[in-house]
Amino acid sequence: APSRCPARAAPSPLRATPGLCSALSAPAGGGRLELAGAAGGAAGGCRDAWASEALLVLLRAGPGPEPGAELQAWAPGSALRGEPLWVHTVEAEAEGDDGPGGKPQAGPLPLLPCARAYVSPRPPFYRPLAPGLRARRLELGAEHALLLDEAGQVFSWGGGRHGQLGHGTLEAELEPRPLEALQGLPMAEVAAGGWHSVSVSETGDVYIWGWNESGQLALPTRSLAEDGKTVAGEAAGLHEGGPDVKSTAGGEDGAPTPFIAVQPFPALLDLPRGSEAVKASCGSRHTAVVTRTGELYTWGWGKYGQLGHKDTSSWDRPCRVEYFVERQLQVRAVSCGPWNTYAYAVEQEKS
Amino acid sequence: MAEDINRDPLAGAGALWEALLALLPRTKEELKLDLSEKVERSVVMLLQEATELFYGGRRNECLQTSEAVLDYSWEKLNTGPWQDVDKDWRRVYAFGCLLKAACLCEASEDATTVAAALKVCDMGLLMGAAILGDILIKVAAILQTHLLSRKRPAQGPTQEQPSTKKARNEHVSIPDMKSERTVPRLHCPSLQYFRKHFLVPERPVILEGVADHWPCMKKWSLEYIQEVAGCRTVPVEVGSRYTDEEWSQTLMTVNEFISKYIVDEPRDVGYLAQHQLFDQIPELKQDISIPDYCCLGDGEEDEITINAWFGPQGTVSPLHQDPQQNLLVQVIGRKYIRLYSPQESEALYPHDTHLLHNTSQVDVEHPDLEKFPQFAEAPFLSCILSPGEVLFIPVKYWHYVRALDLSFSVSFWWS
Repeated sequence: APSRCPARAAPSPLRATPGLCSALSAPAGGGRLELAGAAGGAAGGCRDAWASEALLVLLRAGPGPEPGAELQAWAPGSALRGEPLWVHTVEAEAEGDDGPGGKPQAGPLPLLPCARAYVSPRPPFYRPLAPGLRARRLELGAEHALLLDEAGQVFSWGGGRHGQLGHGTLEAELEPRPLEALQGLPMAEVAAGGWHSVSVSETGDVYIWGWNESGQLALPTRSLAEDGKTVAGEAAGLHEGGPDVKSTAGGEDGAPTPFIAVQPFPALLDLPRGSEAVKASCGSRHTAVVTRTGELYTWGWGKYGQLGHKDTSSWDRPCRVEYFVERQLQVRAVSCGPWNTYAYAVEQEKS
Repeated sequence: MAEDINRDPLAGAGALWEALLALLPRTKEELKLDLSEKVERSVVMLLQEATELFYGGRRNECLQTSEAVLDYSWEKLNTGPWQDVDKDWRRVYAFGCLLKAACLCEASEDATTVAAALKVCDMGLLMGAAILGDILIKVAAILQTHLLSRKRPAQGPTQEQPSTKKARNEHVSIPDMKSERTVPRLHCPSLQYFRKHFLVPERPVILEGVADHWPCMKKWSLEYIQEVAGCRTVPVEVGSRYTDEEWSQTLMTVNEFISKYIVDEPRDVGYLAQHQLFDQIPELKQDISIPDYCCLGDGEEDEITINAWFGPQGTVSPLHQDPQQNLLVQVIGRKYIRLYSPQESEALYPHDTHLLHNTSQVDVEHPDLEKFPQFAEAPFLSCILSPGEVLFIPVKYWHYVRALDLSFSVSFWWS
């Protein structure tokens, strides 16, 4: 079940546990970063932080008086003392927290503020993006990358063996390739799990694709059916909309149950009660979505309690996290580490 | 449960536990993890913690920690192509399996628990890599012996003559080969002769008198296989052929495979295919040998990949090519095999995806000649491979295989 973390300031952006044993929080005010878990340490002057199990990346104010920032990569065991593993000076761009003309700033790490490059946990660590791409947000999965551009178009590249690229095949893509299935539907958010992908449209629709081995796509999965936990046939509001569904061989009693192991095209997912999504985040094998009305839905792998439903069951359909409803809290943001979920919630305003 | 400080934390109840303990290093200091920097520090710490808990007799906590190690390394094993997965991650997974299996057996020695522990060992053997001198093989052997000693007489299906019980309703179609060019046959050629006339020019040949006296030829039957391997977990391919949409892979014990896909009129085709069964179950390896012709290659003997292919009548391997030389030994039943030279590749219409680029799009025995016109003219060799015979399939030679009977083949891949 959710547990409260002491918050000294409104975290923005909310950054969650990137790895097995480490956690970090980055409050906006003052730029102070604190680490907890297997990696300890603290640092000041931080604009952003991003971590994987093997690497801690900080974006800090540059050393000199000019605007611009320094990207630092640290070994988790360093406690942020001594020398970073490497440093990269980030060119000054149209600076300031309020972007030009009120447009949303390029998203958090691993996308760099200039949006011309991103950070990878594996070498090469600094990766430029193609000049034509105007990236707004970038998310990394275990073997793939998702990019949302200024026009709301989603691109994907990397490994595709589990359908996580969404182009309808299991082939890898070396370069960012736009998702044709989503062309013409402006997206507001993208999120990448270990082997699955989520995007949320500006109108609050959720599209989801990739590997469904733990029900992280909210589609019926064989593994949960064998544990008696899936609601076969009652796939909560799954629309086919043309995607090519790859299903495994029939069920136990002869009636072919449409278990879906891999969904290589985006599928439209209906949340219960017709809710509109505003935010999404993915762990390695689970998904979390925040709705316009401040509810949090989670589904997928639940073995480590990451779904927040007070147990360790996995779910292959969206379930509301009742904790927040019971306490009249409105969830405003969610951020998932590989095996956990962080939610930012405020008390419901009395009308 | 207060822990008596005088009591050995690892003192357990049964004989099985004693036997397992004897295999493991005596103390946690002696258990060398030996992991490279590829494995993240936090995971090494977690694994060390698990071993500490184990040697401290804190079984439940060890189980929990081992689960986390297993889940984390499982994710690494599923990231990127299998051949690129770092061996140390597979070793981490194997360590997790070892600790979990041991913890399970400390609690209880009943058949269900031991079978579960054996399954964990098999997962470690299937997906993990060798640790502590191949300890998982030894642990598995002990668990298997324990299970079998409690199970006499053998349970499960014990069909002596599987062919009398027709597994499938359709009659098997033996190809009419009168119009087909057959693979040449030789009786025990010398190594030099084989190399000069077949290996170097890359031409297929059936070798007779080479494997027909191997113990497997007399010993192997459904009953024997169930005895030696019945409770072991193996990968099974379900579906008519791997190019089909409904094709999938799953894990089950050999007993489950035999009962579901070999006897009792199976609904689907299941094939225990391309599995290194002889690494998993060394006892079976005693029944086969490595053909001398394999040492004509460049590689070492331990680089030869030995695979088992065990399935009912009707299993099909679609026309494909492999990157190594292959000696295919037939042990039980017969297989219809067609061979096309790599020079004919264009007429075989390989898939253009990376995943299936070594596989032809053509269904060899029911070709769509409108879609694949050149296929009709492509020359080929064919044969029915019978027990005791060995087929040499040169590197990259296209081959199509259909089992005409309940079949068990052993393949040797070498370079």
